[in-house]
Amino acid sequence: MTEYNRVVIPIGPQHPSLKEPACFTVTLEGEKIVDAVIGIGYNHRGIEKACESRYYTQIIYLLERVCGICSHTHTTAFCQGVEELAGVEIPRRAAFIRVLVAEIERLHSHLLWLGVAAHEIGFDTMFMYTWRDREAVLDILAELGGNRVNYSINTIGGVRRDIDDSLKQDILKMVDALEEQVKYYRELARSETTLAARLAGVGKLSREDALKYGAVGPVIRASGVDFDIRKVDPYAVYGEIPFKVVTDTHADVFGRTVVRVLEMLESIEIIRYCLENMPDGEITAKAPRRIPAGEVISRTEAPRGEDIHYIRSNGTEIPDRVRVRAPSEANWHAMKQMLLGQYLADVPITIAAIDPCFSCTDRAIAVNSGRETELMDWPRLRQYSVDWYKKRGIDVSSVKMPERRSYF
Amino acid sequence: MQNEEAIIQQLVEKFSLLKDKLHVPRAKRIVSDFLTREEFEQVLPYVREEMGFYRASHVLGTDEGEDLGFIYLLTNDEGIIFALKEKAPKSNPKISSLSGEYPSLEFHERELVSLFGAEVEGLPKGPPYPLPDGWPEGNYPMRKEWNQEYFDPHTMTYNPPAETQKKEAEKSD
Repeated sequence: MTEYNRVVIPIGPQHPSLKEPACFTVTLEGEKIVDAVIGIGYNHRGIEKACESRYYTQIIYLLERVCGICSHTHTTAFCQGVEELAGVEIPRRAAFIRVLVAEIERLHSHLLWLGVAAHEIGFDTMFMYTWRDREAVLDILAELGGNRVNYSINTIGGVRRDIDDSLKQDILKMVDALEEQVKYYRELARSETTLAARLAGVGKLSREDALKYGAVGPVIRASGVDFDIRKVDPYAVYGEIPFKVVTDTHADVFGRTVVRVLEMLESIEIIRYCLENMPDGEITAKAPRRIPAGEVISRTEAPRGEDIHYIRSNGTEIPDRVRVRAPSEANWHAMKQMLLGQYLADVPITIAAIDPCFSCTDRAIAVNSGRETELMDWPRLRQYSVDWYKKRGIDVSSVKMPERRSYF
Repeated sequence: MQNEEAIIQQLVEKFSLLKDKLHVPRAKRIVSDFLTREEFEQVLPYVREEMGFYRASHVLGTDEGEDLGFIYLLTNDEGIIFALKEKAPKSNPKISSLSGEYPSLEFHERELVSLFGAEVEGLPKGPPYPLPDGWPEGNYPMRKEWNQEYFDPHTMTYNPPAETQKKEAEKSD
């Protein structure tokens, strides 16, 4: 086939198959992709420049908004980096809580991905199952931090929220119920032939290419590389927690699915370990406002892979430079390799399979509200909602809400 | 198994210019001082081919006053991050693209071009990243002298007060 027969199709930046803005310009020979140009940057709003004019404490909340899904991992990377610069050792209980929340976050992120992937291949029953399960995880996060996605757990010197016995029991109940569901998804991956038929061989990325193009997280682990920052460069209390780095050798979208499903089972075990072994004690250590001059490279294992934060202090209350290398940013380079030789119809699921987060890639910016903030518990939030509707002529006060959630 | 100190020792033995320029701030980290372009290009192939730092996680830019800094975060199989630093004067901010050896750096190098005004020689053609279409030429927002207060996002123009403009002009002279 000659170049004359090639067709160039721009997919995006706004496209029904994409959940966030990006532009993939693919060149086709028939139905097969022979070239691809990846256009990203639509979500860039200058977070790093904003960091250079804010206090360290303010930056925690700014960086939390880099990503609405893995917000905790960014604040963990930032806080532990600043703590390293300041020579602050956080209490052990705080380190356990950081890990606990990170793994709950991994659960909700992987469930979100599983749902999106199922939707992309037309398996909407699975999409609904996984997103229903995810709600239980989000409920726990909301109870812990007061919000479903930006839970503001971390602060410099430790964490801002403690786990009481009631919440501990709720988390244990949630993971018990979720474990059954995840095991069902594992069986589904093993036995449901349509799933394997649709995902196997799609978005291939060899081990060599995964390393060459700098893939991270479930993408590189599904290509057979056991690279996980929790093991390679343990932080918080990961060094003492027994868990397995899940790898797979399918090196395709099916493999990425298997890795994420099995990682959820590992996360559940880590959550149980944290709850059983968390010592009593303080949850914050005092940290200075002025951070000693120096530089640090801090990294965590986000649900999507290695998250790197570079922080440079000039000895003041405001950093000289902050750089966030989010995992999605690393996985884009391998995307072109995954697309080449694929069919056009496989583009959406191939893109979805790296679990791309465009806000992470391009980084976001803070919203200046100037309003006073207050913390609402569930009953107050419920009352606020009832009053809000009442003002608009709708009375929802008779709708019964359960005291405690029932799982599935 | 190589460890951080052994890596430094081997590198210093091979390149005397690296004496006292490599540091281990903590386990799994090696950080260099800023090297000139010539020094950097002399050292890099050895670091990559002989020391096993064949993966690149990132390259980030920094504003070093009269110079621009470029910090390459290279990784080996043990998960050690080697922050190898290069600098170039703002008046001639040329560096070589490493996207041939490290394809994972392509987007990051485009960022150096757009946000810091670096001239990355050998960078393959491709869409600019990450600034929007219509961004005014010569505006590099991550340089310290660039002040967002003077930028009008509606007209996409940068309008510093006359005094600042004069100072900047004197500096570039």
